[in-house]
Amino acid sequence: HLSMANPMSYNGGCVMAMKGRNCVAIASDLRFGVQMQTISMEFDKVQQMGPRLFVGFPGLATDTQTVFQRMQFRKNLYELRENKSVRPQTLMNMISNLLYERRFGPYFVEPVVAGLDPISLEPYVATMDLIGCPMEPEDFVVSGTCTEQMFGMCETLWQPDMSPDELFECISQAMLNAFDRDAASGWGCHVYLIERDQVTVRALKARMD
Amino acid sequence: MARRYDTRTTTFSPEGRLYQVEYAMEAVGHAGTCMGILARDGIVLAAERRNINKLLDEPAFSEKIYIINDDLCVAVGGITADANVLIDEMRLSAQRYLLQYQEPMPVEQLVSSICDIKHAYTMFGGRRPFGVSMLYSGWDLNYGFQLYQSDPSGNFSGWKATCIGSNAAAANSMLDQEYTENMSIDEALSLTIKVLNKSMTMSKLSADKVEVAVFTRKEGHTYLSLLPQSKVEKLIKDLEEAELAKKEAEKKT
Repeated sequence: HLSMANPMSYNGGCVMAMKGRNCVAIASDLRFGVQMQTISMEFDKVQQMGPRLFVGFPGLATDTQTVFQRMQFRKNLYELRENKSVRPQTLMNMISNLLYERRFGPYFVEPVVAGLDPISLEPYVATMDLIGCPMEPEDFVVSGTCTEQMFGMCETLWQPDMSPDELFECISQAMLNAFDRDAASGWGCHVYLIERDQVTVRALKARMD
Repeated sequence: MARRYDTRTTTFSPEGRLYQVEYAMEAVGHAGTCMGILARDGIVLAAERRNINKLLDEPAFSEKIYIINDDLCVAVGGITADANVLIDEMRLSAQRYLLQYQEPMPVEQLVSSICDIKHAYTMFGGRRPFGVSMLYSGWDLNYGFQLYQSDPSGNFSGWKATCIGSNAAAANSMLDQEYTENMSIDEALSLTIKVLNKSMTMSKLSADKVEVAVFTRKEGHTYLSLLPQSKVEKLIKDLEEAELAKKEAEKKT
């Protein structure tokens, strides 16, 4: 058995998110492995944190769970005290803050935030590095073990102002073709399409290897 | 006689009383009435709204009923500033439990933990106790709907129906007579209005002087909903009509 090596690629996995017209999509592969061995094909790295707000936590799986649970704690208290749903931007800043608290012994996750603003319904995507440096672009974000491949696919396929159906097709193709070229990611994919009045989750039929 | 033994919280009097704690309970006795009734499929909470000054800005959710987590809310009676501290502590406590066990905190444990804090102020530190009594309305998987009451001493117990604040004694005795087991939410609502009507500080019960909330479960989620004023008005009207009908019937016999 190999030793721990790189914590960011020890478990494998990838998440991406894209903006569309009045909608956002976020997708995660389902692989959970320990280096070369695949343990589970049901490990979705995306969690819901609000009626129209989702966060993906690719990276070291233990930190995926811990950071999500600690974020739940902070988000629950925020919503009780402020008496409102947290905005995507604010949640992003909270996660960034949580990660920077561990600047010199970080959590090995690089989260992806995707959602619609609760009031204006403006689409929002963001990602950050493992110590919380945020990035809020206008188009798409990627994170995980196959970012090179995902960047290539997104850059090629993404266009502004796509309808929900077009966005779904775009993110699905980008994900599938990117993680199929990565040994540590894949084994299925869940795509979340977030619109004003509904959220649709779909499971993609993928190469199971 | 009490003089020498009542200034320090942590001192017993010769008769074995803790005067500061009793004085704290006095403070609560001057506060607006809060009532809770356990029905078979939920809990009804009602609170008297004291501050009906029209210059006051509207509260975000409620003046006296606070949400602690998805499955627990409290109605407070006493010094509001003291209550705010306890409410925040309860919220933190519930989240800490959730973080550690990835399960919602059982109601009695939450009540117990906050009562331990209240109690500490009657035993250590030389600081005054919290002048707050609370009604806890909660749900958990093991025991279903539960209603608890706590007072400044840190003592708590589970109730089927209870009342705190001013005129609590009158309200409690009325609840004692009129409460029946396994009421529906609607029956509990009628009883609440009936008891409030008899025991309110202000002369006549009206919809703007009281907040009524219903705590129920639907499809695996717990919901706390404040009744809109129109609904409260209807309940009051129904009560008045029922009383009138009863009087008429009595006149005939």
